[in-house]
Amino acid sequence: MPILKNIAAIAKGMSITFMEMFQPTTVENYPDGPGPLRGAKFQERYRGVHVLQRDENGLEKCVACFLCAANCPANCIYIEAAENTAENRISGAERYAKVYNIDYNRCIFCGYCVEACPTDAITHGHGFEIATFNATNLIYRKEQLLAARPAHLGANPVFNSAEVAGGAPAEVAPGE
Amino acid sequence: MADAPKLVNITVDGKPVAAPAGTLLIEACKTVGIEVPSFCYYPNLSLQGACRMCLVRVEKMPKLQTACTTGITEGMVVVTDSDEIRQARKSMVEMLLGNHPLDCPVCDAGGECELQDMTFSYGAAESKFIELKQHRDEQQWSPVVYFDRPRCILCYRCVRVCGEGMDVWALGVDNRGAVSTIVPNKQDHLECEECGMCIDICPVGALTSGAYRYKTRPWEMKHVGTTCTHCADGCKTTLGVRRSDTGMEIVRGDNRDKSGINGDFLCIKGRYAFDFANNEDRLTQPLIRKGGRLVPATWEEAFEFVGRRFKEVLDREGGRAIGVIGSTRTTNEENYLLQKFARVALGTNNIDHHRTADFPAFAAALHGKSGATASMRDVYNASAILLIGNDPTEEHPLLAWQIRNNVRLHNARLYVVNSRPIKLRRQAASFTQVTSETDFTEFLGGDESLASFATREGWNAVRDKLRAEQGLVIIFGSEIFGEDIQALARFAASVPGAKLLCLGDYANSRGAADMGLYPDLLPGYFPVSGAGKFHQEWKITPAAPGMNIGQMFEATKTGQLKALYVIGANPVGRLNVNPSTLKNTFVVVQDMFLTETAALADVVLPAANAYEKAGTFTNTCGDIQILKKAGEVTTAKPDFEMIVRIADAIGFDVRKLVPFGHGVHADMGQSRGAQSGEADQHAVWLEANGLEPKMSPFDPVATLDEIQRLVPGYDVSRTELLAGNDQHTSIAAMGPGTVQNPELIVPAKNNLFSSGTLGRYSRTLNSVIENKDPEPADAVPTD
Amino acid sequence: MRFSDQFEQRFTEMLTHYPTKRSVLVPTLLYAQDEVGFLSEEVIAEIASRLDLTELDVRNVISYYSMLTTKPRGKFNVQVCRNISCLLRGADELIEHCEKKLGIGHKGTTPDGLFSFEHVECIGACSWAPAVQVNYDFHENLTTETMDRVLDEYRKKVQ
Repeated sequence: MPILKNIAAIAKGMSITFMEMFQPTTVENYPDGPGPLRGAKFQERYRGVHVLQRDENGLEKCVACFLCAANCPANCIYIEAAENTAENRISGAERYAKVYNIDYNRCIFCGYCVEACPTDAITHGHGFEIATFNATNLIYRKEQLLAARPAHLGANPVFNSAEVAGGAPAEVAPGE
Repeated sequence: MADAPKLVNITVDGKPVAAPAGTLLIEACKTVGIEVPSFCYYPNLSLQGACRMCLVRVEKMPKLQTACTTGITEGMVVVTDSDEIRQARKSMVEMLLGNHPLDCPVCDAGGECELQDMTFSYGAAESKFIELKQHRDEQQWSPVVYFDRPRCILCYRCVRVCGEGMDVWALGVDNRGAVSTIVPNKQDHLECEECGMCIDICPVGALTSGAYRYKTRPWEMKHVGTTCTHCADGCKTTLGVRRSDTGMEIVRGDNRDKSGINGDFLCIKGRYAFDFANNEDRLTQPLIRKGGRLVPATWEEAFEFVGRRFKEVLDREGGRAIGVIGSTRTTNEENYLLQKFARVALGTNNIDHHRTADFPAFAAALHGKSGATASMRDVYNASAILLIGNDPTEEHPLLAWQIRNNVRLHNARLYVVNSRPIKLRRQAASFTQVTSETDFTEFLGGDESLASFATREGWNAVRDKLRAEQGLVIIFGSEIFGEDIQALARFAASVPGAKLLCLGDYANSRGAADMGLYPDLLPGYFPVSGAGKFHQEWKITPAAPGMNIGQMFEATKTGQLKALYVIGANPVGRLNVNPSTLKNTFVVVQDMFLTETAALADVVLPAANAYEKAGTFTNTCGDIQILKKAGEVTTAKPDFEMIVRIADAIGFDVRKLVPFGHGVHADMGQSRGAQSGEADQHAVWLEANGLEPKMSPFDPVATLDEIQRLVPGYDVSRTELLAGNDQHTSIAAMGPGTVQNPELIVPAKNNLFSSGTLGRYSRTLNSVIENKDPEPADAVPTD
Repeated sequence: MRFSDQFEQRFTEMLTHYPTKRSVLVPTLLYAQDEVGFLSEEVIAEIASRLDLTELDVRNVISYYSMLTTKPRGKFNVQVCRNISCLLRGADELIEHCEKKLGIGHKGTTPDGLFSFEHVECIGACSWAPAVQVNYDFHENLTTETMDRVLDEYRKKVQ
């Protein structure tokens, strides 16, 4: 009786479907969800757009050692180094990255740069909305990659000199 | 020659090794490819035995021995790698890292640091030490030398190379034990020759360069081995280049592979003074004078304009109304092309350059005496050296290095004859001070009938000693010219095996002379009147000698000279020419900067420098070396290309100028009969030498082909040349030469920190000059 | 720069003792220091030129030896041994006492320029520990009281 067999099979299949209809949904409601991420959720380990971190004094952690660029299999990191001076202190060490570009046309988000970084300056953030109509927009400059400065350091003149126009959105310090 | 030294047989790691008696164990191991690590040992410097990295086990010796201080003895059995040895070395590295900051990501030596390598090899990255590291701030000792004390591992290489190698003795060691520290001679700064040898030799990042500071990292650069463009010694230098907005930027100079005539030596100019290329005053586009002002123009416009104006002069008055001034810093190919352009395309012998030595008289004196010229390598190996005039320490740093180290390592005897107490007298076995130029002549001639002889009896003794020398190299500066060179050559002939070396001043002064930038001499010092071979090749060669530089500027005053073509030279600035004398002359200048001459020009063409093009240089000894393109700016063109473009713009067939494309359709004489003499000689030569015809009129190698074919003495091995090795060209094989008017020879008078026009635009050199103490450095021991 | 006749006599004689000139450097420096009180720039330059050395060489040697100094010292240089024998017999107390009494620390000099104070390594007087050397004179078996007396005696010498 092949017909009965088929009906039984369909009934069994549909029963799973109907049962699932009463389970809570696991699909993210991106991009119509709530919050700044509009419903997107990430695992902590997600490798998104890079973030160049700052130390506890708000100085850049990157010392322009070029190890990330050397380690990059896609050759997408471009750095120019410069020396910190007493008047213009950008990073915690003697040297800082004057230019730090990542070309997201080429980046494969492998995380090797993060592995290579001796100062934990470069990390993967959770940024993922980088689609654009113009490939030149995919070359991110240091200003776009830098972490926001900590709010309590807003009035630090050393820190302000490191701030670059068009940089990451800064939290406004009280009284600023 | 002494007998070959006795060989001693030892066994290293089971391999039999035979080396001359007296060889150090560490060197003997190298001969069979066993590398014994070391920090303090450095070939050709005195032994230190400080780092204990080279510990090896020698059979029948109770403890581990240092391979760098142990001489080999017959039957020695050595183990260079075992658990015991690895443990000992690991402990040494751990000790060195005890206070060594781990700031490798910031340190300029990171990536080419010997301590890093050792730590990787011996795995001492984890330390037992828990003490806090002692930090000391970095010190700047001079514009180019920075010292980071905690990074120093006290190998004393810098102290030794500065003292023994450079004879400057500017570095020392203060305190003792664990608090020892390297100190500069002026307590908080250095007063020295700024050669940067200490930085180069530092195995870690304790001594770092101000010029290279934090610019990039070693693996980010491309390394190009080329020849230095400053003095006439022709050091091989490795330029580290990195891409920049305008092409390729040179960020570092050193001699990375320790090859070439200079080994590990470079002076301040070779090491740091490449920065003129990035000077902001550098010309970036062709300029044409319009309404009294130089205004930017396109290349096409400029070439067309120059070609048209040259053509007008040629048609109206012929080639004798045009003068050409060549450069001492352009390549052999460019110099050859320039004189061919003048003689063949313009039909004039009005060609000259800034002469700094009397090479034609040198050629005349040595004509036919093959083997009588010394190469830079000969200076290092000669058993005796006579140095007449000049101050090599200032003007020829490599020559001074060769002399010093020959005396130090080979016990050569140095005889100095000079009007000043030059620094090299400290190495000299005899120093004879003369007072005037005639004294030089007298010293050489040894004319005992001279009245003043009684006061100079020491001279005779020196001359007698010199005559007794075997393998003497005689080096002379611009104090000796004309007939004196003949006298000197006669003196040399009386000493068996003596070789001569004539000192010019600029990177390719010798090349400019060899390539015939003279109004009366063709390439290879052949007189223009008897232009046999060249006439055959080029068909047209003007037979009457042309005007020299002085005459050219006289002729511009009288209106005889209607156009002047200047390449890489600044005759106006050097000869103090009144600007008004050039107001009726059409002046074209190819240069990097708006020099005094370029400022008066009607057309200025921005030129590439020697680091930005390919070609060959001949150093003052006659050693020809290759130049490879390192840096690149998109806004300048090589002089070679510009000369060809101008010839083309005049309407001259550039095939007659550059032998490119020859042979491709040549019939090798078959159709006209091989005996007819009409065969394309160049194609035949290329074929015979297994060389390809060049396909571009801008390829200088096409001209090198012609130089090698036509200029005697330049027929050196192409393989060696292209491999980056120096090849000695013999001036004795060249033409008969001639004695020149000595007034035309103007020494450059450059010192360690100046380098003609290039020096004026080098930020590093200028910063060093500004930082110099007004009073001279310490008087140093004379014994 | 002029030294005393005695210095010159010693210097000339010393030169004959060694095959190379620089061998007399350390004794010369010591004699010069005794005479001038410390090794001034002037002394360094003079000795360097006499021995055909660079000033750097001379400075390197001075910095190696703790008994040589380039800074002025007091008239009496109190050197307290603090090696094992002296330490066991109370050098620590002696050091503390001297520091308090003179009001200066290691390598310090009193404002009146009378005393300098430093602790030194073994002065070879272990049998009579704790020992102190003042200039070239030894004082042995000291206690804080006898130390006071020693210092007072020196102070009296000047008055």
